[in-house]
Amino acid sequence: MLRGNILISIILWIIIALFVIYPLSFLIIESLKIAGKTHYYSIQNYIDFFKDPYYLKTFGNTLLLAILVLITTTIFGLPLAYILARYNLKGKIIFTALILLPIVLPAYAGAFALIILFGKMGIVNLLLLDLGIIEKPLNFIFGLHGLVFIQSLHLLPFIVLSLSAGFTNIDPSLEEAAEVEGAGSLKRFLTITLPLCSPNYLAGAVIVFLWPFTDWLTPLIFGLQDFLPSIAYINIAYHFTDMHRKYMGIVSVVISSLICVGIFLASKTWVERKKYTALSKGTTLEGRVIKPKILNKLASYCYMLIIAILVLLIPIVLGLSAFSRRWVLQPFPSYWTLDNFKLIFLETPVLLKNSFLFSGMALLFGVCFGLPAAYIITRTKVPGKDALDFIITLMLAFPGIAVGVSYLLAFWKEIPLATHWIIMPLSLFIRRLPYFLRMAHASYLQLDVSLEEASEVSGAGKFRTFSNISLPLLLKGVFVGLVMFFIMAFQEISTAIFLYRGGWETLPIGIYLNWHRGMEFGIAGAMAFLMIVIIFILLLIVARIGGGILGAAWGSSGGRY
Amino acid sequence: MKKRTILLTFTLICIFLFSARLQAAEKVGWVGPVYKELSDSLMKGFKDYYKRTYGKDIEITFVRPGGWPVCVDKVRAWKGKPDADVFLGAGAPAFEVLEKEGFLIPFKPKEWDKIPEKWGGMKVKDERFMWTCFAPWIVTNLYNERVLKALKLPVPKTWKDLLNPIYREYIVQTLPYASGTQHEVIEIHLQSFGEKEGWAYNRLLAAQLARFSTGSVDTTHMVSRGEIPIGIAQPQMNAMSARADGYPVRDLLPDKTILVPEAVGLLKNAPNEANGKIFIDWLFSLEGQKYVLEGRYFPARTDIKFSNWEKEGLTMAKHAKEALGVDSFWDLKVGFVNYNLELATKRWDEVNRYYEFEIYRKWRELKSSLFLIEEVEGEIDAAKKKGIDVSKAEAKIKEARKLFEYDGAYAQARLTASQARTLLVSQTR
Repeated sequence: MLRGNILISIILWIIIALFVIYPLSFLIIESLKIAGKTHYYSIQNYIDFFKDPYYLKTFGNTLLLAILVLITTTIFGLPLAYILARYNLKGKIIFTALILLPIVLPAYAGAFALIILFGKMGIVNLLLLDLGIIEKPLNFIFGLHGLVFIQSLHLLPFIVLSLSAGFTNIDPSLEEAAEVEGAGSLKRFLTITLPLCSPNYLAGAVIVFLWPFTDWLTPLIFGLQDFLPSIAYINIAYHFTDMHRKYMGIVSVVISSLICVGIFLASKTWVERKKYTALSKGTTLEGRVIKPKILNKLASYCYMLIIAILVLLIPIVLGLSAFSRRWVLQPFPSYWTLDNFKLIFLETPVLLKNSFLFSGMALLFGVCFGLPAAYIITRTKVPGKDALDFIITLMLAFPGIAVGVSYLLAFWKEIPLATHWIIMPLSLFIRRLPYFLRMAHASYLQLDVSLEEASEVSGAGKFRTFSNISLPLLLKGVFVGLVMFFIMAFQEISTAIFLYRGGWETLPIGIYLNWHRGMEFGIAGAMAFLMIVIIFILLLIVARIGGGILGAAWGSSGGRY
Repeated sequence: MKKRTILLTFTLICIFLFSARLQAAEKVGWVGPVYKELSDSLMKGFKDYYKRTYGKDIEITFVRPGGWPVCVDKVRAWKGKPDADVFLGAGAPAFEVLEKEGFLIPFKPKEWDKIPEKWGGMKVKDERFMWTCFAPWIVTNLYNERVLKALKLPVPKTWKDLLNPIYREYIVQTLPYASGTQHEVIEIHLQSFGEKEGWAYNRLLAAQLARFSTGSVDTTHMVSRGEIPIGIAQPQMNAMSARADGYPVRDLLPDKTILVPEAVGLLKNAPNEANGKIFIDWLFSLEGQKYVLEGRYFPARTDIKFSNWEKEGLTMAKHAKEALGVDSFWDLKVGFVNYNLELATKRWDEVNRYYEFEIYRKWRELKSSLFLIEEVEGEIDAAKKKGIDVSKAEAKIKEARKLFEYDGAYAQARLTASQARTLLVSQTR
């Protein structure tokens, strides 16, 4: 049986080597090339990067953006998480679902909606102009503040989810003890509750903090190029005859990848060292839930409502443009049509088909890889399993642009995969690899080994045990993982944009092409609207099966990686 | 018995061959930066023509990875094993690069003689048949007439008009390395105003910008939506196209510009070379040229009159006539720059890099420096009106402006402007 495990492990390693290590090594090699010289490698590009005040400025800007986004999401997310986790309020489920909406929305779709709403000739400005309140359009969103706003809105759920998971997991007896000792509610919150959920917070905070280092599209939509991932994209996509520009772009990709991986690992070690383990698990599934006083209740509702409205504006505005055509210079559309949807469903159904096909295939790859990988990591003592776990988890931190560019470099000549559409699902699978694995992993951990052992003692083989005992028991967690994987693959763009060719476009690429490179923002709006609907339906399915939307969106790992 | 076997074998072979032929569908591939409307229109037209003429379907693939520099790079990435047959679109500079790097083979389309050789001093087709223009256009700017009207601003007519402070924050352009058209606009400035004045102009224009867009289509988009009312560096047909869609935009033909001979060329080692040739021949036929117009580009043949086509029922011919104000593209009267293509191609990267390093990257510094100079200039003018002798301050601020415009020494210009202000204060005392 041990030999079987080793075989599986070897196969998994081959896949990792071929689709992760091999392409990423190309990225490093390319970054060491020097323009105008063949077969000559040096770290000159890196020296140029750190000597050039412009690149340092983009680096500083990105860092500033990351800090601002983290602060904003934390300030707005903390009360929200507390309300959701602790207060016993009616309609909490609906609010939770609404507040989670941005997680399923591609960030750039939110940016488009924001421009329609708050742009120089957007709804608000036009209304103010029409009413004669202002003479000239005001600038609401173009600039760093707009970027911070939209990214914070997009990333807020990550903080809320991780924090509320933390609040729920705390043993109520600890807080009660503090109360008995005479600590006031604020003191109790600051000295007991917050420190206890800091590992959970950090898990969400890392995702939030790393986001500006990977998102190149949103800054570009706001007309801000001076961010590390954006300048990397522009340098690579528009280098033309200037090879140095391309190499500098790749250097930027490598550096932002290194930053992401570094911060990710640092926080992971910190969390592991700081993890609080209570000997007695005195908590229930819901954790400590209290009935708020009437004033608190009112304030909570107001707060949730404000956030929900902000979040809901995105699908509403996208919906308005989806059902109208060429709606410009009017506060509200005056012409309603289904043309955009007709176009998506009838004239170019290939985008919709591709989206489902590629995400579906990626999902299939994900299952074929994820289940055995989760098994190897949790249930066996195969040498190198920790390294396997480590590399897969690391993919969480890798920017999509790094995967996209490295695939384009690696799978061209020797292994010409990039000429076939299979590259699309493959890259999606690799990019979203950890999502499914973490979910399967967590389910495996929850599954009591004794059940499997009993099966084996009774004479069933390893495989039979797996299919008759483990799989049915794992099913729920695995299913949630599947759907989450599908959702994440469905809205992926930053890798796919580098690899797609005519005929391989997916819905997110269609949105990008119709808005950013074309004039048809009605169609882009309709596509984004359709995506929201599809993903939201999927999320509701998960919520029903996985029990609770909070758990569904975050997985049973409870906010830890 | 034997006869039957032979017959059966023959039939089987026939069926086999026939099905094999069915499987090996005819193909042709295009790569290039043309807009979707054109590629859609040409696809429709050529498929129809192919079916009619050869009795077979043809499968067309079209790759448009981005603006023309990106397309050229795509061809380069194919490393002589192209995944397309025809490079469709882009002006002479792109084809010069492709030819120089050996990615093209010569091909003379049947109706080659119907295309003018030169126009306003600019090459329209290649005498070695490497490329031929099928859809000419002029580099223009774009404006949103409704927004300009709402802001009570006049329409700028010349390049210099755009420097008027009333347009500050109402102009958008992209980076020269993100768009071939934008690059050409800068080259136009350099070649028509002279290098020194050309860069000075670009510094001043940069101070007028609301922001940099990510590409020329992004610019069109922002102007059409009214986000920013004036867009620099636009292909001429964008105004016609956006107008046909109902956007309130108009073409802004500047006083000095160039022609972009949007051309077609055959790629070396093309996998479907024969079909590529059939396509190029068709593209220059009257039928192909009609599909070019339907695809919202101007047709290139000299024997085309829009009014005749309008009578035939082509609605786009009407839009074209109205957008251009003439009956054939070649009847246009434009102030062309004596454009040195060779020089432009040679210093392509150099110009882009200069713009990026000296203007784009220092954009903020540039603006704050210019705004201070303008402030001090205003103060000096006010003092002058009061009859105060401000000659020293005036000389100093002129020095500051020179430092700003010609040397691009923004920090130093700012310092000099502050010194001029100090001088002014001491002189008025």
